[in-house]
Amino acid sequence: MNVPQKSPDEFETRVSGALRGLPPRRAPRSLENRVIAELERRAGLPWWRRSIAHWPGLAQAGFVVLCAGSVRLAWLAGIWAGAGFETLSRSGSSSIARVYDIATALNAAGEVLRLLAGVIPPIWIVGGIAFASILYAALFGLCAALYRTLYLNA
Amino acid sequence: MFMRAYQDMVFSTAARMTGNDAQAEDIAQEVFTKAYENFGDLRASAGAGGWLKTVATNLTINHLTRHRRRWRLFSEFAPAEGAPESPLLDPPMPDTLAADLDAEQRRELIDDALRRLPDHQRLPLVLYHFEDFSYEEIAARLGISLAKVKTDIRRARAALAPILATCGLVRDALEA
Repeated sequence: MNVPQKSPDEFETRVSGALRGLPPRRAPRSLENRVIAELERRAGLPWWRRSIAHWPGLAQAGFVVLCAGSVRLAWLAGIWAGAGFETLSRSGSSSIARVYDIATALNAAGEVLRLLAGVIPPIWIVGGIAFASILYAALFGLCAALYRTLYLNA
Repeated sequence: MFMRAYQDMVFSTAARMTGNDAQAEDIAQEVFTKAYENFGDLRASAGAGGWLKTVATNLTINHLTRHRRRWRLFSEFAPAEGAPESPLLDPPMPDTLAADLDAEQRRELIDDALRRLPDHQRLPLVLYHFEDFSYEEIAARLGISLAKVKTDIRRARAALAPILATCGLVRDALEA
């Protein structure tokens, strides 16, 4: 193939001029009908299914109040849940008790890991991280090579 | 009337960036529905064409990048050494000399060649040459490196060169 042998800037300028001088493509005839149909469909939607910007002012204000109330409720629920969790677990509710047990088990596992971290020599930890990183990099490279071979060159 | 004045420009912008007429029509539809929502401002504005072009460009970039983000890292890899810099386009050529081609035939040939470019070359090329984006703006919008933008545009130009030469548009620049 003949690639540009003259100045790259000159070639770029000529390509730019050639492309910018192209007439626009003609839009398909169906486009106008599609736009009109879409506008009619949107106009036929009830207000609550449109963007909030198109809601009546009262509905917009109500929505904001509702959101603020939900945030407040979620915050209070978090506090109540924290305080009442233990009480509820003791009151005999099996599902709550199970969640409490899982949380206790996770806490205990965390304690064990913390203890092990103090006992295991640091060189083992660094070596383990390095080994995992090498494995990860190898897997990543393999995936990239497969992608280039099977997808980009397909 | 408003739509008829701008629909070719909007469709062209989306079609040249996507290389796909069906997607371009979807995007053009979205552009005009947005224009309808802002019609009060646009109707009397001298900048309506620029507004539509900007919206069409932004929607197309969003459309093209949305589903391809996960592949971006892989496509950043440079080709293996010795690999050809760009795919050689071999579009069907009419049995006529360049001088015999009218503007519409040239447009068809070049648009066909653009369609055949891979997305990662066509999009930066169109943004640079049709939409007047700078290299830096393209890199920022597409979230890729400046070097990749320059390389992709250079390869896309090289791939288009034979078609442009056939159309008699850059013949001098291709003289060996």
